[in-house]
Amino acid sequence: MASSSSDMKGFFREKKKSAKPNKSGKPIKSAKPKHSASCGSDVVQPPALLSHGSPDLQDEEYDEEEMILRQFDMNMAYGPCLGMSRLGRWERANALGLHPPQQVQNLLMGSKMNNSECLWDGRV
Amino acid sequence: MGAAPMEVDSGNGVVERKQSIYKSLDESFEIQKEMYRGQQYSQIYFARLHLMRTLLYSLIPTWKPHLPVCTVLGLEQGKECIIVGTLFKHMKLKPTILDEYSKERSASPLVKPHNFMHSDDYLILEDESGRVKLRGTILVPSVYVTGLVVALHGKETGAGDFMVEDILEAGLPPQIDRPLNPNGDDKYVVFVSGLSVGSSSANPLQFQLFVDHITGHLGDEKEQGIAAKIVQVVIAGNSVEFPRGLFNGQNLGSKEQSKLSEPTKELDILLTQIAAGIPLDIMPGTSDPANFALPQQPLHKCLFPGSAAYNTFRSCTNPHSFELDNVRFLGTSGQNIDNLAIYSDASSRIDFLERTLKWRHMAPTSPNTLGCYPFTDRDPFFVEACPHVYFIGNQDKYVTSLIQGSDNQVVRLISIPRFAETGTAVVMNLKNLECHALSFGTQFD
Repeated sequence: MASSSSDMKGFFREKKKSAKPNKSGKPIKSAKPKHSASCGSDVVQPPALLSHGSPDLQDEEYDEEEMILRQFDMNMAYGPCLGMSRLGRWERANALGLHPPQQVQNLLMGSKMNNSECLWDGRV
Repeated sequence: MGAAPMEVDSGNGVVERKQSIYKSLDESFEIQKEMYRGQQYSQIYFARLHLMRTLLYSLIPTWKPHLPVCTVLGLEQGKECIIVGTLFKHMKLKPTILDEYSKERSASPLVKPHNFMHSDDYLILEDESGRVKLRGTILVPSVYVTGLVVALHGKETGAGDFMVEDILEAGLPPQIDRPLNPNGDDKYVVFVSGLSVGSSSANPLQFQLFVDHITGHLGDEKEQGIAAKIVQVVIAGNSVEFPRGLFNGQNLGSKEQSKLSEPTKELDILLTQIAAGIPLDIMPGTSDPANFALPQQPLHKCLFPGSAAYNTFRSCTNPHSFELDNVRFLGTSGQNIDNLAIYSDASSRIDFLERTLKWRHMAPTSPNTLGCYPFTDRDPFFVEACPHVYFIGNQDKYVTSLIQGSDNQVVRLISIPRFAETGTAVVMNLKNLECHALSFGTQFD
C-alpha cells in the first residue's frame, strides 16, 4: 500500500511530546557557577570547595581596591594580618603611630562588607 | 555598709581606724571588652615588640648615638650596629607537646616543675624581618627568657651569627614623685597570700589569729593602736585550695558538690570579719576559682555573699595595680615570677622581681610558657609607670629590698610568703615604705 509521503512525519515523531518548544529563540544557558574552575564541560565537575571568598584566579575581577587592601595586609610593618579584621588592624596601626595610609581606611569605611577580613581569612 | 570604727573598752573613747584614698588602676587588666576573633599570639608579640622598640629607639641616642640602628635582615657582616628585637631562648630541656608523640609513653608525667635550664641554651633575636643567633659572653642565657625586647650592640660574624658586645634594657620606667612626709602619720598596708583555706596544711587558728589581730580584737591599747593604723589589706592569691581528690573526671554527687563549696564558704566567713573593719583587696591566684590565663579576672562576688556586701571588699584582677594616698602599688599572685624561675636563674626570687621591672615587663614569658589572653592591640603587662611598691605573692619566704633607679626612682620590692606554710604576713608603712614581717604561731614549743 502506498501512503502519501506527506504523512511520514506523522508516523515518526521528531520531538518528544513533553518537550517545550524554545520560544525565546536564544540558546539555553546552563547554570555554570561564575568562578568555577572548569572550562568547557560543566556537567561533571563538582562546584569548587569554598568556605569563604573565592579562589584567586586570573579571570576573577578583583578590582584595584582589593589590590590596595591586599598590599595593606601584606605590609609587615603593621604586624600580622591573620586573626584581625582589616579595620581593626588599621586602627591598631594608627594607635601605635605607624601612619597607615588613609586611603585604606576610606576604602574600609565604605559600604562594602566583603572586604572587611584579611586576605587569608578562612583559607588558613 | 561602710567600715565601722573600732571601739576600745578603755574608757578613753573610740579609737578610729586611719583611712587612705584608694584608686584602682586595674582597668588595663580587665578583659570584658575584648573580643576573641580567632587571633593567634603573633598579635600580642607584635604589639609588645612595637611598644618596646619605640621606647628603646628613644633611649638609644643617649646610650650609643654614633652607631646605626638596623633590622635583622639589614645586618651586614662586620658592620657594628644596634638591633632591636624579641629574644627567644632555645632550651633543650623545655617540654614540648610533640614529645608526647615522639617518645614512648612512660608512667611518669613528662613535665616536672623544676628548672629547665641547660648549659647548651642559646638566645636568638627576632624582629619582623628575620632572626639571628646571638653569641658572645655578654649575654648570659641563664638570665634572659623568651619574650623580652632588648637592644643589642654588636656585629654579624662570618658564620651568620650576631656577636653581642653590649645590651640595653629598657630600665625602670619613670616614676611620679611621691611627696615624702617623715612627720606624717604611720599608715600600714598588710600583705598576705597563700591562705589555702580548705587545704589540709592550712591551720585555721593561725588565720583567725591574724584576722583578730588586724581588726583590733587582740592585745592591749598599744596593740590596738597599731592595728588601727592599718589602712589596707591585700590578699595576693591562692586563698582557697580545693580537695584535689574530687577532680578525677567523675561526675560529682551532691555530697561532693557541697564539699567543693566548703573552702570558699570558710574563706567568706573570715573575710567578712576583715571587710567589716578594713578595706580589703583580694586577688585570684593559681588555685583560686578564676580563669587560668593572665590577666586573671576578679573572683566573682557571688563566691563571697557575706563579705561582698561591704563596700570595703574589692575583688581585683591579677596582676593588680592601685594607688593609696598617691603611693603606687603593683603586684601579682606569683605566676609570672614562678615561671621565670623555671626558665631562668637568679640568686634570689627578689632578683626576678627587679629584673622584670628593669625589663619593664611583668610577664615576659607569657604567652610562651605562661598562659595569657591573646590581646591584639596592647600588652597590659608592659609597665608604663614605675610603682613605688612592687609585690609578689605565694613565695617561699619573706624577702624585701629597696631599689633605686637611674632617674631617682625608688621601689620597695616585697616577696610575700605563703601564709599556710609560714604563718607570716607582711606589713608596710606607707609613710616611708619600710616593711616588717608579722608572724603568727600556734605551737607552744
